Amino acid sequence: MTTDVAARASTRPSVRTDTRLAWTLVTGSDRRERWRLALTAFGAALATGFCLGAAALAALTGHQVSVPYGNGLLDQPGTRQGVVVALLLLLAPVAGLLGQCARVGAVHRDRRLAALRLAGAGPRQVRRIAALESGLACLAGSVLALIAFGAMLATTGYPVPLAWAGFVALALAVPAAGAGVSVFALRHVVASPLGQVRRVTADHGPGFLVGLIVPVLLVVADSALLALRGTRDIAAAPLLVGAVVVVTGAGSVWVAGASSRLMGARLAGRATGPAVLIAAHRLRQDAWAAARTHAALLLVTVVGVAFVGIREVLLDELHRSQREGHMGMDISYYTFGIDLVGGAVLVALAISLFSLAVGTAESVATRRRSLAAQAASGVPYGVLARTLLLETALPLAPAFVLATLGGTAVHLAYASAVGAAVPVVMPLLVPPAVYAACLAATATSLPLLRRSVHPSELRAG
Amino acid sequence: MSTRHVLLGLLAGGPSHGYDLKRRYDDRFPQARPLAYAQVYTTLQRLVRDGLADVEGTESDGGPERTLYRSTAEGASELIRWAGEITPPAPFVTNEIFAKVVVSILVDDAVDPAAVLREQRAAHMARMRELTAVKTGPGVDLTTVLSADYALAHLDADLRWMNTTAARLSTLTAEVTAA
Amino acid sequence: MSTQAREVPAGAPLLAARGLVKSYGRTEALRGAALDLYAGEILAVSGASGSGKSTLLHCLSGIVRPDAGSVSYGREQLDRLPEERLSELRRTEFGVVFQFGQLIPELPVIDNVALPLLLAGVPRAEAHVRADAWLERFGVRGQRELRPGEMSGGQVQRAALARALVTDPRIVFADEPTGALDSLGGEQVMTALAHTARETHTAVVLITHDAQVAAYADREVRLHDGAVQESPMLPQAVSHDH
Repeated sequence: MTTDVAARASTRPSVRTDTRLAWTLVTGSDRRERWRLALTAFGAALATGFCLGAAALAALTGHQVSVPYGNGLLDQPGTRQGVVVALLLLLAPVAGLLGQCARVGAVHRDRRLAALRLAGAGPRQVRRIAALESGLACLAGSVLALIAFGAMLATTGYPVPLAWAGFVALALAVPAAGAGVSVFALRHVVASPLGQVRRVTADHGPGFLVGLIVPVLLVVADSALLALRGTRDIAAAPLLVGAVVVVTGAGSVWVAGASSRLMGARLAGRATGPAVLIAAHRLRQDAWAAARTHAALLLVTVVGVAFVGIREVLLDELHRSQREGHMGMDISYYTFGIDLVGGAVLVALAISLFSLAVGTAESVATRRRSLAAQAASGVPYGVLARTLLLETALPLAPAFVLATLGGTAVHLAYASAVGAAVPVVMPLLVPPAVYAACLAATATSLPLLRRSVHPSELRAG
Repeated sequence: MSTRHVLLGLLAGGPSHGYDLKRRYDDRFPQARPLAYAQVYTTLQRLVRDGLADVEGTESDGGPERTLYRSTAEGASELIRWAGEITPPAPFVTNEIFAKVVVSILVDDAVDPAAVLREQRAAHMARMRELTAVKTGPGVDLTTVLSADYALAHLDADLRWMNTTAARLSTLTAEVTAA
Repeated sequence: MSTQAREVPAGAPLLAARGLVKSYGRTEALRGAALDLYAGEILAVSGASGSGKSTLLHCLSGIVRPDAGSVSYGREQLDRLPEERLSELRRTEFGVVFQFGQLIPELPVIDNVALPLLLAGVPRAEAHVRADAWLERFGVRGQRELRPGEMSGGQVQRAALARALVTDPRIVFADEPTGALDSLGGEQVMTALAHTARETHTAVVLITHDAQVAAYADREVRLHDGAVQESPMLPQAVSHDH
């Protein structure tokens, strides 16, 4: 077993080796890892799909292109632009979903990366391997999306053949971005070969979130207006609306975090039921984790309340115009535009709820050993299940109140600007519906919880 | 260890003479104290007296004459009884180390009880290293490994006791000097 | 670079630590620990829980940087080396075995053992040949395609030993390698480690609180409150005649 040291020194780590290792790790991964990889691929497929759609529309020029989808809305360059922006905006919740996917199996992955470091992989090499892993998963999703999209375009006879090169480039850019994001996300993780990353858990909450959210929301607000500008020339200052959405969105997130902590502290002292007690202590421990998970949902709620309100006002206006008979085009042309925005909000909501479900499932999966130990020591399943629901329900409640106020402010402002009657009932139905949907999304983890509290989980590593 | 029962056990395989029994005994229990021939001889005589063994005859392979012994039916049943009997767990072992620690507390500054324990610990470790070397040596048989393991486990037990005692010496000192 | 580090003048220690201090928060794990490790010797580091044994091993192997003090290995000072060089040392000149958790659950045993070689860019076929030889030696070649979760604790630890030794390291760092095993499994692992270390003249730093495990070493240092307690016995001359 003697070694030629000189020969060994000549064999340096290479990207090829790393790719092979990443591939071996991906193919050898267990059920949970596969789940994460599949979700990542799904997120990448969504992102690629939205990008491709936006690119395909943006590449169209001229006024009278006939697109078989979209009720004529896609034929006009102005409204087309609005749809492009809406598609791009949908990337925000997708990014949230991808971020949530990265958290799935994070403990497990950190341990694996630490083991790699222990075996002699350098920090850069570990980052490369991890990036290649998620890059491969993203690539699978992107390629699938590209194929599906290509098939769809082929049936419509897409008029810009040159755009295909761009589509392929986009489908490759998404995995590249995915790999880049995972390198960024792992910057703290790969530091120690012991896997005991002494991370500061608590408080880079509000500043970080506001910084992230402000630009996103400004774009949300502007684009919502942009998409509607084809129908009417809105006088309301878009920036004002944007600012209101920004402030309430970020504020809701902050309220969710702060109230988690406050509620945790208060309830931990005076809780009478065990479920509330456990939930309170967990909230107090890591208040901002909940806030981050809920950020996208709160934003969607602000936008949703505002949108429903504005939609009511717009529809009133449209119907009045129709009755009075001075409408330029068929009413369905306008309502389709409004419904399209509504659809985008719903898609964003669906993705955010999915993220919430994934996040909750991950939280259960990570704690399964401790949950099994609690169950084994006599904590009833019902208490643990209620704890899980309370962890979502408690911090969300006050944040939803604020989000509702913000959204209402936006549509009130709009209604008073155009001098229309203020809609009350419909917008206020949005927060309870979203809140119920959140609880339902959380409840999807209950079967997993039931499996997790089985005593056999005590043996799981 | 009951020498008479072990000899009786060795006779169970068939008639044997004293020297042969001693040799087989030493082979079988390598880490035990070697058996003196005189002890084998007296033990065999006692077995015969108690009716557990009998003289089979004498043989001489050209050398001096040797008495062959065999086990009797009574001996066989006594052997079975003994082998099936539970060995009493020995709760009151004479503990010389403990005695030395207490004495060194009593004689005050002349001997440091902590040093007694430390040095004893080092001596135990040295012996454990020897035994480990024996059992990991090339081509050792399982008998050797197991008897070394037995000794190692007992030395280890002493060591643990010494560790916990060393950690509580000041309390012990207070107790002993107060009495 | 690595050849230089391997040249140690006769009689000089292979690895020398002086005045190691390391704190975690308010806990002082090490307070001025010092020791020498000579080429080819098995050195046991024993002591009660919390005496700083594991932290000492982490500092000695360059996994953790001490707050103060130095660790010299040949001409290099581990406490000052860049992270990349430390990683390189771990995949060429050092091997590590922990109580558990050092094997990657996703990889079959053969790839786990070949991992340091793969990381260093050795072609997979060659890496597998060398890994197989070590698996064979430790009696787990039959399990080469299994993942760590499908093997017994003793088999996993023997595979971990194989991984630590596959690069023909100069030093193996073992932190309670038998801690999670029953006594028979522990004995098999220790026998394999001791035999191989003597045969290949690999130095071993063996962290243990178990005297029966420490007895496999040539020499023992005891740690107490983060410092090395002087042994009343003179260290035995390092010899590997057996």
